[in-house]
Amino acid sequence: MSTQTASTRDILTSPIFNNNPVAMQVLGVCSALAVSNSMQTALVMTLAVTFVLVFSNLIISSIRSLIPNSVRIIAQMTIIASLVIIVDMVLQDIAYELSRQLSVFVGLIITNCIIMGRAEAFAMKNPPHLAVVDAVGNAMGYGVILLGVAFVRELLGSGTLFGHEILKTVENGGWYLANEMFKLPPSAFFLIGLMIWSINVIQRKRG
Amino acid sequence: MAFKKDSFVGTMIFTVTLCLLCSFMITGTAELLKERKLVKKRDELKRNVLIAADVDIADKDFRAIFDKNVKPTLVTLDTGEEDTEANVLDFDERMASINPETSRKPKKDTAKIKSRADQARVFKVFDDNGKLASVVVPIYGKGLWSMIYGYIAVQPDFNTIENVVFYEHGETPGIGDFLNDPDWTGKWHGKQIYNAKGKVSFKVVKGGAKADDVNGVDAVSGATMTGRGVQRSVQFWFGAEGFEMFFNKLKASEG
Repeated sequence: MSTQTASTRDILTSPIFNNNPVAMQVLGVCSALAVSNSMQTALVMTLAVTFVLVFSNLIISSIRSLIPNSVRIIAQMTIIASLVIIVDMVLQDIAYELSRQLSVFVGLIITNCIIMGRAEAFAMKNPPHLAVVDAVGNAMGYGVILLGVAFVRELLGSGTLFGHEILKTVENGGWYLANEMFKLPPSAFFLIGLMIWSINVIQRKRG
Repeated sequence: MAFKKDSFVGTMIFTVTLCLLCSFMITGTAELLKERKLVKKRDELKRNVLIAADVDIADKDFRAIFDKNVKPTLVTLDTGEEDTEANVLDFDERMASINPETSRKPKKDTAKIKSRADQARVFKVFDDNGKLASVVVPIYGKGLWSMIYGYIAVQPDFNTIENVVFYEHGETPGIGDFLNDPDWTGKWHGKQIYNAKGKVSFKVVKGGAKADDVNGVDAVSGATMTGRGVQRSVQFWFGAEGFEMFFNKLKASEG
């Protein structure tokens, strides 16, 4: 496995671009479609995923020598599920309105394949400090795609960024006719598709 | 003895320990957030009651307004008696309505609530001069998919609706959303619950209520069952097994 010999820096940076979990491995797309219609929800979702991913990788990696082989997936799920419940509770406490907008998708972090994937593929085989670096890298890779898609969707769909008006829409007496399609999940398909395509093209050029 | 992780005993020890640790983690967090959650719940209640009573709370400290102008009481529905001493704000209506010791099956379950709590919270809202402005009562009933929970405020004649707010429902997204639309709930203002004979005749009218219909509000097309559920919960909660006794008692005491 190349990751085992790779430097710490590679572990951090490769999932952001070269081996992006959403764009290259096409994992975690469901949530990326659902919560990327505004920057705010995308950012909160990214933070939630980062928290869960970092701690699940850390915990699983620290106890990896104790986890019996026959129940390892269930053990990983238990840890991930507990972390997600904690995130959900904290989110409901500090940002109730936002947690309502994110609705089921916070709970669905449990089934986000990026987290399971990193736990099984990396944390089970590597020491804790590398597992945390890997988690941060993958969370950033997820966040970059999510925020990128949300940037385009919110800007073209409602003319705002983080709720602040950027393009004055016709409804508010401006010039910009908001493209309603960008508010709906299918637009994220196109945007993620375009991103996958451009990343592929760039990588192929590099050889 | 070394810990053999892949043996049967090792696997059992590991799973049990892991489950215990994870549950401690979750209950610990829940316990830490409990106090704050309680405060949030109270704030939500205060805000909903004030909105239902049509009190302007925009840019104002709604907690202070609530504490100053609202008198919460606990009403025993079958007798209409009030208990102002109880801790009304933290009274758990949902628990009370499913606990067999504090609830009973309604004789005529028009709102399809299955069991009704013996007591309910009522909020008397006073204006700045200390005069009774409205009475806010909680209502709930089954819509198409879900229980619809709300507060409804009536003016001191216990008949004319001041305003209504629905704070929780699970009706079809996009179709049942009108419950939260102030344009729609605003239509309830000034409508009357009882007809001249004192019978509950509030209605959600399909095809639109006529302009001179004092008992009807417009239904929303595509949401027949949601509208019917709302109508039936109003009928139930203002009927004999709802707050009617309490209203009669209040009326009598005021002469």
